[in-house]
Amino acid sequence: MKRLAILILFLLTFFASVPAVSGSEKTVRVWIGAIAEEKEVMDELAMEFKEKTGVNVEVYQKLEIFTVPNALVNNAELDERPDIVYMQAPDIGGLAESGYLLPLEIDDDLRSRFVDVAFEAFTYNNQVYGIGYSNSTYGLLYNKDLIREDELPETWDELFEKAEALTLRDETGNIVQRGLFLNANDMWFNYPLIKKYGGYYYGTYPNGEYNAYDVGLDNEGMLAYVEKMKELKALGMVLNNPEKKDYSDIVAEFSKGSVAMFFYGLWHAEFFKNANVNYGIAPLPENAKPITTVEGFVVNKFTREEAAALDFLRFILEDDNQQRLIEAGNRHQRKTGERNPTNINVINSPYIQEDEVLASIAQVGRNVEPFPNIPEGTLWYNQDVTFNTFRAIFFGDSSGNEVDAQYKLNELADYIRRNVALMNEEVEFVKTPWYVFAILGGAILALAAYLFVKKIKQRRDPNYFPTKHSRTLTLLAWGLMLPLLALLLMFYVYPIIHNFYLSFTNYSGLNLRNYGIVGIANYKTIFLAGLQGLVQLILWTFVFALSVVAISFVFGTFLATILDKTNVRVAKVYRLIYILPWVIPSIITLLMWQGLLDTESGLVNKLLGLIGIGKIPWLSNAHMARLSTILVMVWFSFPYFMVIAYSFLKSIPKDYYEAARIDGASSFAIFRKITLPLIFRALIPILIMSFIMQFNQFGVYILTGGGPASPRIGNPGATDLLITYVFNTAFNTKRYSLAAAYSVIIFIFVACFALITMRANKKKMEV
Amino acid sequence: MKILNKILLQVLLFLLALVTLFSLIYVLIIAFGKNVISATTFIPEGFTFENFVKLFRETKFANWLANSLIISTTTMVISVILVSVAAYVFSRLRFYGKERLFNLVLLVQIFPLSLSMVSIFQIFVKTGLLNKPLGLIIIDSALSATGLILLAKGYFDTIPYELDEAAMMDGATRLQILRKITFPLVKPMLAVVGIQSFIIAYNEYTIASAVMTVNVEKMPLAVGLQSLIAGQYGINWSMYCAGAVIGSIPMLILFYSMQKYFISGLTEGSVKS
Repeated sequence: MKRLAILILFLLTFFASVPAVSGSEKTVRVWIGAIAEEKEVMDELAMEFKEKTGVNVEVYQKLEIFTVPNALVNNAELDERPDIVYMQAPDIGGLAESGYLLPLEIDDDLRSRFVDVAFEAFTYNNQVYGIGYSNSTYGLLYNKDLIREDELPETWDELFEKAEALTLRDETGNIVQRGLFLNANDMWFNYPLIKKYGGYYYGTYPNGEYNAYDVGLDNEGMLAYVEKMKELKALGMVLNNPEKKDYSDIVAEFSKGSVAMFFYGLWHAEFFKNANVNYGIAPLPENAKPITTVEGFVVNKFTREEAAALDFLRFILEDDNQQRLIEAGNRHQRKTGERNPTNINVINSPYIQEDEVLASIAQVGRNVEPFPNIPEGTLWYNQDVTFNTFRAIFFGDSSGNEVDAQYKLNELADYIRRNVALMNEEVEFVKTPWYVFAILGGAILALAAYLFVKKIKQRRDPNYFPTKHSRTLTLLAWGLMLPLLALLLMFYVYPIIHNFYLSFTNYSGLNLRNYGIVGIANYKTIFLAGLQGLVQLILWTFVFALSVVAISFVFGTFLATILDKTNVRVAKVYRLIYILPWVIPSIITLLMWQGLLDTESGLVNKLLGLIGIGKIPWLSNAHMARLSTILVMVWFSFPYFMVIAYSFLKSIPKDYYEAARIDGASSFAIFRKITLPLIFRALIPILIMSFIMQFNQFGVYILTGGGPASPRIGNPGATDLLITYVFNTAFNTKRYSLAAAYSVIIFIFVACFALITMRANKKKMEV
Repeated sequence: MKILNKILLQVLLFLLALVTLFSLIYVLIIAFGKNVISATTFIPEGFTFENFVKLFRETKFANWLANSLIISTTTMVISVILVSVAAYVFSRLRFYGKERLFNLVLLVQIFPLSLSMVSIFQIFVKTGLLNKPLGLIIIDSALSATGLILLAKGYFDTIPYELDEAAMMDGATRLQILRKITFPLVKPMLAVVGIQSFIIAYNEYTIASAVMTVNVEKMPLAVGLQSLIAGQYGINWSMYCAGAVIGSIPMLILFYSMQKYFISGLTEGSVKS
């Protein structure tokens, strides 16, 4: 009791504590990137700036640049708001649209000291919102031992010719060296090639602004590109693994020295260095522009120190300071290539020019196409649709049948256009029609009537004695539950109510601040258009969650009983091993399973091959993928049930077993008839909880990405769960209020399920 | 026949342990691997300590680990107290509104956490908990306590009420019963709750990554480690796995040291009916 009192006191002091008010001194807060060396230099610059102007500058490191836009939205108007923020240019569209970014005046001096793309990338609606600092780009990486710099191709045709000549096979026909190595599923690094043939991401209006409705992915140029890629694939210059999204395999081959050229940047420079590859980077043939993410500084619109913030921004953009920052960003003499300067003076400095690779990539960086920074830009790289489309085109659909490229490309382009339209749709207020009120009101009335009738029936029942609750006991109980109740209200009940409210608004990525009530518009969208395909999704989600919980429970309990009978010391070791899946971060074990189950190169198939079993498409066939997902998730959750069942086993009275044994029951019968039901009864709430957890399981997404993809773009993949699919579709188009509406529906749905299950099992629990 | 069965079961136990052990070996392979480029590497070029050295030299790993240990241990203590009180109340006291409260605890957890983030952030701002380890302790306690009540209550229910009644007949007060009879009997459950809440706090990423954003030194391990693989810059799986290996040691120690409570005298001293 004493401890509880201390705890309550403890909690109360927490909530009573008021955030400290900072002094009246002017303070500019700067959020920068993840590199520690850069932070050191930025701190030095802050000190110097303070000496010069008296303005205090605080520098904060942001480890994940992808989370920065979100963090800015969260913190933009708080006391500790950031004033200058380092972020990726493609993220600025939505922020500018919602009014989080301060438009910047760029004078001629500044403009002349940086490459054009530093401003171009941060220009949205003819307004500059930031200044590029580093330019994450790629070029033609080549192995100097296989192709000399002066031999590098100048035209695309020359590239293909040379690549073919450099592709070598051994006597058995296996490729031992590749002139060019591409990932056909990818669009980022292949973009210059796509562009050469006439395809493009988003077209532009005559004034240079992007036209998001002009999607250049289903034109004739794209077909020509597909033809060329197929040709290169036949020559062995395309990675022959349909599952691969990233470049790790190609990078690994390049490290081994068996690839002459490929399109890539310096993301793995350290690895190349470690592997002693003698490599260089060159501009693409015909001066084609690679697609690029520029990173740079923007200013928070809600800054309280606008003048000081702009002064500091100007200060760090000075040539000398840029030099110091860039050198630190590349970790000084290690020259990692992590920061590719946009400042012209820095580009021409000895630090960059003396390093051949850094000098070349800086040169490449002057001729690039920044990735579209319009809010619709994220439609490209957030979703797996492009991957799935190209996978189908180049490797066939999930059953291996060839698909019509034109049809597939049309489908992809239409899908993107449709989503662009959805993103830009003005959500209009939808008045709740009278029948919705009627239905809801009716339901409530019916429920009330039901409860009323039940109560009356109960009262009339001669055997019914109303339970009298002792007032002291009730007070004591609620008193004891108070701290927990407070936490529950704050972190569980309030978010639900808040989301319920959001589901009636038009809160979206383009409308983060000035959103308002739009009635039941989101619910209307869901019921009118969104319910197609959801039935299959709901069914699979149920099957998935139920099977994972059921198998894990039975299996875990079973193992617990065996362990119970095993030698105590051995059992200890086993239990320690079995909980490993708990202890190791699941992202890494999920990726391990992904690697193990890979159809082409997975260890499981290799082992099966040894005993003469052919390749099993564990994750690439729809049915097998579903099975694999369930099994992998069981692998994750059975130890939980095992540990719990093990401690419950001890509380089962021994006489139960003795009696059964006297009756001549077998061990298995005892397990089935006594152990399992007893533990089941005790664990019903846990089982329901686990079911809910599996219902909302995001881990599947790491394992399969929801795939294999549906033959129709935009439909749920074979292993997509309700929650991942729905949120993906809503978040991909940044319609957050729609996601909220979905979550309310799912919540009500699962809550009813849980309540009914609880009620149905109540009798069992009390018997 | 019976012996054959027994052998088969032991073989099954062994094989399964092998598969599971493989996951650890795999993480070790990557953590010690030389120049590992992809997370699906099973045979690296060679082995090196480099990744561990880099982990401590280039990141604030030591800080992250310390933060996580402090946050998780405190959370563990708080949630064990919260959970045992709540489970006792739900299991032993008859009071007004009990069933409804119990259902509430269950139902609120259905709502996906990822969507609660906006609201949770608002609460953190309003209560001044933003960027404070204290805030993480509170929310982690809320998460783990709410999630574990059901389990603990179920366990309390398996302890026969006759024990309490018998003790009451002997003139024991509620508090005495709790201390002398109930508490020793639920030790295994408290051990499970303790470990679970520690793990929940230790692994919590979603909330921590949104509310602990100001100081890199103050971040918990899960957020710090994630940042090693979240960047697009030459994702270093080896460093991540090295961190995961070190990070899992506290949990293994905790689990191992609490193991004896799982088995400890559950049936000792209980009435043999």
